[in-house]
Amino acid sequence: MAEPINKIKRIELTEEEKKRLELEELENALLENKDAIMESLKIMEHMHDRGILELLSGLFGQGDKVMNTLVKAMDKPESVNSIKNIMLLGGTIGLIDVKQLEPLLIRLNAGIARVADDFEQEDEKKTGIFQLIKSLKDPDVSRAMMIMVTFLKGMGETTEELKEEMQPKEQRKQEDNSKTRN
Amino acid sequence: MVAKIQVNINGIDVDVSGDQTVLQALNDTSIEVPSVCYHPSLGAIETCDTCIVKVNGEFVRACSTKLNNGDSIDTFSMEVKEAQTKGMDQLLYNHELYCTVCDYNNGGCEIHNTVKEMKINHQAIPFDKKPYMVDNSHPFYRYDPDQCILCGRCVEACQDVQVTETLTIDWERERPRVIWDNDVPINESSCVSCGHCSTVCPCNAMMEKGMVGEAGYLTGIEEETLRPMIEITKNVETGYGSILTISDMEADMRDERIKKTKTVCTYCGVGCSFDIWTKGREILKVDPQVDAPANGISTCVKGKFGWDYVNSEERLTKPLIREGDAFREAEWEEALNLIAEKFTEVKNEYGPDALSFISSSKCTNEESYLMQKLGRAVIGTNNIDNCSRYCQTPATMGLFRTVGHGGDAGSIKDIEMAELVIIVGSNTAEAHPVLATRVKSSHKLNGQKLIVSDLRKHEMADRSDLFIQPKQSTDIVWLSAVTKYIIDQGWADEKFLAEKVNGREEFVKNLEPYTLEYAEEVTGIEKDTLVKVAEMIYEANSTSILWAMGVTQHSGGSDTSTAISNLLLVTGNYSKPGAGAYPLRGHNNVQGASDFGSMPDRLPGYQKVTDPEVRKKFKKGWGVEIPAEPGMNNHDMVEGMHDGTLKAMYLKGEDMGIVDANINHVHEAYKKLDFFVVQDLFLTRTAEFADVVLPASPSLEKEGTFTNTERRIQRLYRALEPLGDSKPDWQIITELANKLGADWNYNHPSEIMSEAAMLTPLVAGVTYERLEGYNSLQWPVAPDGTDTPLLFKDGFPFPDGKARLYSVDWTKPIEYDEKYDIHVNNGRLLEHFHEGNMTYQSEGITEKTPSVFLEVSEELALERGIKDGTLVRLSSPYGNVKVKAVVTDRVKGKEVYLPMNDSGEGAINLLTSSQADKDTDTPAYKETQAKLEILQTDGVNPLPKVNHRNGNPQPQIGVQVERKWARKDYIFPGDQVKKERKTNG
Repeated sequence: MAEPINKIKRIELTEEEKKRLELEELENALLENKDAIMESLKIMEHMHDRGILELLSGLFGQGDKVMNTLVKAMDKPESVNSIKNIMLLGGTIGLIDVKQLEPLLIRLNAGIARVADDFEQEDEKKTGIFQLIKSLKDPDVSRAMMIMVTFLKGMGETTEELKEEMQPKEQRKQEDNSKTRN
Repeated sequence: MVAKIQVNINGIDVDVSGDQTVLQALNDTSIEVPSVCYHPSLGAIETCDTCIVKVNGEFVRACSTKLNNGDSIDTFSMEVKEAQTKGMDQLLYNHELYCTVCDYNNGGCEIHNTVKEMKINHQAIPFDKKPYMVDNSHPFYRYDPDQCILCGRCVEACQDVQVTETLTIDWERERPRVIWDNDVPINESSCVSCGHCSTVCPCNAMMEKGMVGEAGYLTGIEEETLRPMIEITKNVETGYGSILTISDMEADMRDERIKKTKTVCTYCGVGCSFDIWTKGREILKVDPQVDAPANGISTCVKGKFGWDYVNSEERLTKPLIREGDAFREAEWEEALNLIAEKFTEVKNEYGPDALSFISSSKCTNEESYLMQKLGRAVIGTNNIDNCSRYCQTPATMGLFRTVGHGGDAGSIKDIEMAELVIIVGSNTAEAHPVLATRVKSSHKLNGQKLIVSDLRKHEMADRSDLFIQPKQSTDIVWLSAVTKYIIDQGWADEKFLAEKVNGREEFVKNLEPYTLEYAEEVTGIEKDTLVKVAEMIYEANSTSILWAMGVTQHSGGSDTSTAISNLLLVTGNYSKPGAGAYPLRGHNNVQGASDFGSMPDRLPGYQKVTDPEVRKKFKKGWGVEIPAEPGMNNHDMVEGMHDGTLKAMYLKGEDMGIVDANINHVHEAYKKLDFFVVQDLFLTRTAEFADVVLPASPSLEKEGTFTNTERRIQRLYRALEPLGDSKPDWQIITELANKLGADWNYNHPSEIMSEAAMLTPLVAGVTYERLEGYNSLQWPVAPDGTDTPLLFKDGFPFPDGKARLYSVDWTKPIEYDEKYDIHVNNGRLLEHFHEGNMTYQSEGITEKTPSVFLEVSEELALERGIKDGTLVRLSSPYGNVKVKAVVTDRVKGKEVYLPMNDSGEGAINLLTSSQADKDTDTPAYKETQAKLEILQTDGVNPLPKVNHRNGNPQPQIGVQVERKWARKDYIFPGDQVKKERKTNG
């Protein structure tokens, strides 16, 4: 005769058994991930040395509070503006072709070096207008002048196309409209 | 085949198939047109105005414009883009973009994706808050009016797909919004929590609460911090481009911790499949997919929200062994050794037939296969059955007699396209909710006719064109009379009968007594009404008949099922689309449990154990002799326990001690067993009688396949690891078999399926590869993988290929003593499942439907002085129940309705008898009479105010976008662009 029952005697692990099982689990996990853990320990050591751990502990320990303060601080016009600027600049940097810029940068470097040199001798030389005109004959100077002129030309060119990529649609459309009206 | 037409798209001539809209045609090309409100399962809604294109020089909405030959379409001119942008601007006026801190930022947000696709950087009309609060009242989803773009998808889904008709958009107020019923909080409306609205919402306006604060990395933040974050996000926008990039990154990161797993619902037999989103063990949401073959985007409350049971603290996590007056938790090794030892003892002492096995219709096909293999091959008995014995075996019998395959004749698609649907004894809207939506929708929108025969005026009856209420247990009489009348009128499909059916003459002769007069006398349905039924069948080109427990759970359940099939044969309603017999299967895998051999007389694929050829094949496959005599069914087993021939039983996934009829009798039987093993998720009522209880894993924690009511086999994948030490049933059975000396080596359910397919012609071509993802197969499946959505196209599975008219007669229902004057109808509720083991674990469901209740008619209430909340006792000769009453017009006269969802004092089977269908032993649950006493007149209504039955639906077709267009402030963006061009140009 099996009467219905609904009591369950759970397997009660003693504190010691629980501890042993947990330790076993931990031990296995440690062994399985030995390399990763050794590596992590090294990183932790460095972080500890530089006080980063302490900093993070404060940050995480007060998670919501810190987040709130941070967000509130960020929610000010100037902070919002800087984020905005960073994003805009980020977009602009993406448009620069560094390959084209490279020769220019090398020249710029050379120019700076020369200027530094010249300034050391500043006292000895006096710069007059004739000297300037004379220096135009110098092939180095005239090459630099040409580069400057070409750059200025490029800057003056129409940038419609580029602008379109960076500009809000609405604005663009208005401009388009004004074009059609012409 | 639709004819091809030629159109010109952006200057290029192309051939496209006719009969489609511009948007559909464009979607097949590489040209992208934004379309925020369009949803493939809902069609054109026309609210968002983002898909505007020019056809033959005119601005039109691509989603609703049909293509004609020679049309010229412009999708990319400046004007078109401008019009689309204006449409989008209106949406963004209604929706705040804070994607990175939005829980809906999971890659699927239509607004996010459209903004990105259209390269919109700023909006012309700034976002403006609406003057409404977020509605958080409902337990499962919330509505945020401020995020709602008024696309109306939710309304379309609620009105025309689910057809609960709760949602509308109030277009006339200054700031329109979605409203529930006549503008009440969500939780107090007629909303049945099916989840369609949150499934189709293109953004975060209508969202599952499981997602809120859980899906995103930054979304679980307190409102106080979140608000400034949203402000920052908005203020720094230098254009949406960069913001969207960050939110896209965040969305990608979410994939790391949110797992999306395809699964098949584990409640009813419709077989809904969907993705389930989990984060650890937490269930975030159920995400139905357009590709799901049975349900598409549809779900009911249980499939969409009823998964809490998986993480219930009451789940068993270790085997239990009976010891004195308590169970003791044990390790698997000990429990399995004990079972093996006891089974062997019983087998040695009393022979293999002293043991029996009961499979579960909740478990997978593979598990049903293993259970019967364990019984037959390891123990050596055919004493194996499953719970379809309690529901649909009579239907299977009726179909075996007449058409040869025991399953739905076609697919849910066929039911959807039938010209006439007849529902007999099925509370479809509650028992098979998603399937019912297809009928409700076809009836509402496509002129499908609907006849309902039932005692109770349930939702389908309410919606029907013709509702007949025959006296209980008399369906066979009116079915036969209508059949006879159709033949007599010369309306039978004589060509079909001559070519495809045997036995006409004898059948017609047997029908002779079933005149309309006789039928009127027995059933109480007037002659004229019966003629009307016959006419409707005659006039329809296709008729599908759906039936369920209202037919099968009677003394003559198999015969009534047979009569339904006869009627369909006589009218030629088999083997063509939109027609056929649909016995709606009750559990997710009722069909599969029998298909895979958990039946006392049939091996997998309904191969008879009495057939020597079949046994020879299985002997070859399994390496052991199969017993030749059919074994005991469930009903015999209970009697076997009582008379001492059955000594041990192994039962899995079935709370038989609640769901079998006359449970007092069943409980007494359990007590007589020498050894009883129960395998389940919980310590069920049945498990309380066990000697060993084994902890099983539910569908989300295992792989396998289920077969739905359409004979559709679908795969489920593992979403979670088994809880604690619980294990999938197939693993437990395998381990036990090996303890008993079998040498089984199944490492994955796919291996079990390939073995079953090898031995079973019905599923010969079933492989896991063919069932990958949302692919499915409807049996019979040929070895090359060809499946059969519509049965009998090439004849019936009898030697001469012809169906059989099978003569049956009326069996009178059980007669009770006069004092049992109340007829106790019983069955399902939408929101709870069976005895409630699973659904009562859901806090939300329990909040809205906390307990079982008794539906009492207004007449009876008046006569006896019953009110809402009155506590009554029902007593039958077998037992009694105590339950609180609800007075309703769903029932009439002396008929009451007791839902089956209680395992305590309200359990219906305390009242039912052991009387059963004469052909299959399926209990005659529906033939229950009782007397009623009032225990306490005043009490709290067991149906709280927040139950959907107290709601107030607002039927309309679709979202009624015309009302939006009629607003003074509405201008069609195309017209706007034209006007501006004129003034500016």
